[in-house]
Amino acid sequence: MSKTKHTLQKKQQWRWFLYLMPALLFYVLFMAYPMLDSLRLSLYTGNSPHTRSFVGLGNFSKLFSDPTISERYWGAFFNTWYFFLIHLIFQNALGIIFAVILTNETMKGRQLYQTIIFIPTTFAVLVTGYLWKLILNPVWSGDFFVSIGLPFLKHPWLGDTKTALTCVALVSCWQWMGIPTMMFVAALRNISEEVLEAARMEGAGFFRLFFSIKLPLIKPVVGIIAVLTFVNNFNAFDIVFAMENVNGAPGYSTDLIGTLFYRYGIAGQHPIGIPDAGLGAAIATITFLVLLVGVIPTLKRTQGGQ
Amino acid sequence: MKKLYCFIVVLLLLSLAMPLSSQGTKDMAGDTVMLTMGSWRTDDVEQMNRLLAAYKKVAPNVSIKFQPTNPPDYNATLRLQLDSKTGPDLMYARSYAAGQELFNAGYFADCSDIPGLKENFSASNRAPWQTSDGKQFAIPFAAVSHAVYYNKDIFKKEGIAIPQTWEEFLALNAKLKKAGYTPLANGLADEWDIFETFFLGLLPNFIGGAEQRVKYERGELKMNDAAFVAAYQAMADVAKYCPSGFEAVTYNDSQVLFNTQKAVMFVDGSWTAGVYDGATFDWGLFAIPAPKGNKTAICFHPDMAITMNKATAHPAEAKAFLAWLCTEEGATTASQNLPSGYFPMIKFPIKLENPHANEFLALNAGKQTDARFVWPALMDLYSPMDQAVIRVMKGDLTAKQAADSIQKLR
Repeated sequence: MSKTKHTLQKKQQWRWFLYLMPALLFYVLFMAYPMLDSLRLSLYTGNSPHTRSFVGLGNFSKLFSDPTISERYWGAFFNTWYFFLIHLIFQNALGIIFAVILTNETMKGRQLYQTIIFIPTTFAVLVTGYLWKLILNPVWSGDFFVSIGLPFLKHPWLGDTKTALTCVALVSCWQWMGIPTMMFVAALRNISEEVLEAARMEGAGFFRLFFSIKLPLIKPVVGIIAVLTFVNNFNAFDIVFAMENVNGAPGYSTDLIGTLFYRYGIAGQHPIGIPDAGLGAAIATITFLVLLVGVIPTLKRTQGGQ
Repeated sequence: MKKLYCFIVVLLLLSLAMPLSSQGTKDMAGDTVMLTMGSWRTDDVEQMNRLLAAYKKVAPNVSIKFQPTNPPDYNATLRLQLDSKTGPDLMYARSYAAGQELFNAGYFADCSDIPGLKENFSASNRAPWQTSDGKQFAIPFAAVSHAVYYNKDIFKKEGIAIPQTWEEFLALNAKLKKAGYTPLANGLADEWDIFETFFLGLLPNFIGGAEQRVKYERGELKMNDAAFVAAYQAMADVAKYCPSGFEAVTYNDSQVLFNTQKAVMFVDGSWTAGVYDGATFDWGLFAIPAPKGNKTAICFHPDMAITMNKATAHPAEAKAFLAWLCTEEGATTASQNLPSGYFPMIKFPIKLENPHANEFLALNAGKQTDARFVWPALMDLYSPMDQAVIRVMKGDLTAKQAADSIQKLR
């Protein structure tokens, strides 16, 4: 009797695994395996399975020693960091500010503002990219800016190597700002009223309340959002594709690692268009390592307190 | 219970395998042979279907299915299909290096002995689809040309004649600008168009045709000689006649500017001729003029060819189609179904129906023509030269600096 009960228990101990199976299977097949395989691919050259040959770290040395390729890579690398930093600063700082405003109890029409801030997030990137491309194009919007007395806005923003990447990044910030805002709103609403009340009783002003009470209490969310911003923008491709195309025009100034990877690894450089899958995989592998190195310490620092 | 789990797991695995096995090709439907044709011309489905329907009358037992891919993805998709042995039986082949590469990889069949090829195509028209040892890997199909589109109504109103020299062209631009027009619609945002249509379009006027090009390829002439510097200078000179903010003007924007009469001229390729079919104004074409003392030459670029898969299951039928394209009848049918702005390369005089297409062809009369400068042997210089042209137009480089930077790469 006791023996059968024991085996039944043992059996049930592993039952949870069966429920996990379908998800795990899909994850392994469509996420983990392709990722590991792309790590392997970075050690090979040739585009087809039949002609592929092992080159060791040849793709990596090509990436950093070939003068043209390495110039493109480092250009894209620093552009990507710049693109990420703009997001970290503008998208998330504005997210916090909007969240604080939206959680203000005395504000009227909170729902409306909340919707307005969140709506761009639901648009397709290609649509927002294209619309902003028209707005920022002096040929179509220049006359309007002049007529409303802001002639300095008539500028080829996306055609100027000095302003193009900043503009693209800000458009992306505008679109995705709703996500951190919502997460901060949720986190701020979770702070118990008693804590805030106590602080107010002690005579804490608005800024003291924010920096000494609210910010430390939402630190885990700040960390998660920083990590998400990092991961999403280090892999960014779509907004540049929509606004400046895959060459990172003008003059490679908006070339990100995502677009570089697409050109080298998938589509090939116009006009010949012969991709180098191994080189593309090498770029992807390095990006993977950068993300790993960037994400783990951030998570440790912000999530450790719990 | 255990059985149920096993069953579910097996079911899941099966469902994953499904898409892989549903890809079988139906080659034989009754007695007809089905051939597929790959292409990058997604715009031409209707025309190609008409052409293939016409072929059906010649060979009733063969049906050819046109399956185009998005142009930027064509090379990559085709490679993938060929690698995995699911390639089309017939397919478009790019000229020069891109095509050679696929032939050398063993995917294209050797077309050297297709009947009619050597007789009906000139050596220079066959050359873009030949390997260095003279093997033909595709049947020449269509070429594109480059010229200046101009608004006839505005030219008439301002009393402007078609310029015969580059100097006259610049003077005309200055006059239009003074009168308050945007003379040129060209922009830099998409990067490829300013280089392929404008710079490579005017280049033969400054450096000469094919014989001269070969000298640059061999290194006998330097790519920072006076002729080249003058060509870059020409680009610097026209920058101020492009729309204000031309740095951010895309190829589409340029077309819209010309089509809405916001710009008077547009230096572009023949493939857009169809875009202005419904234009509300009268437009025409003139050759990009050469500077004084040089002969005007045309950039007439071999663009499309058709070849067959070496591993096709129906080599005889595929070959018969290619041979048909080499006959006068086949070439005529093909040309009449080409979209406007694509020109047959066969030696028979073929009448095109579109008046603007004929206008384009008429520009070639009595002039030297050549392919786009970098295509035959200097494709490595495509991106650097493109960037050099753009920087010259933005004023970041002088014409001399631009030419020097390219010569340094040789």
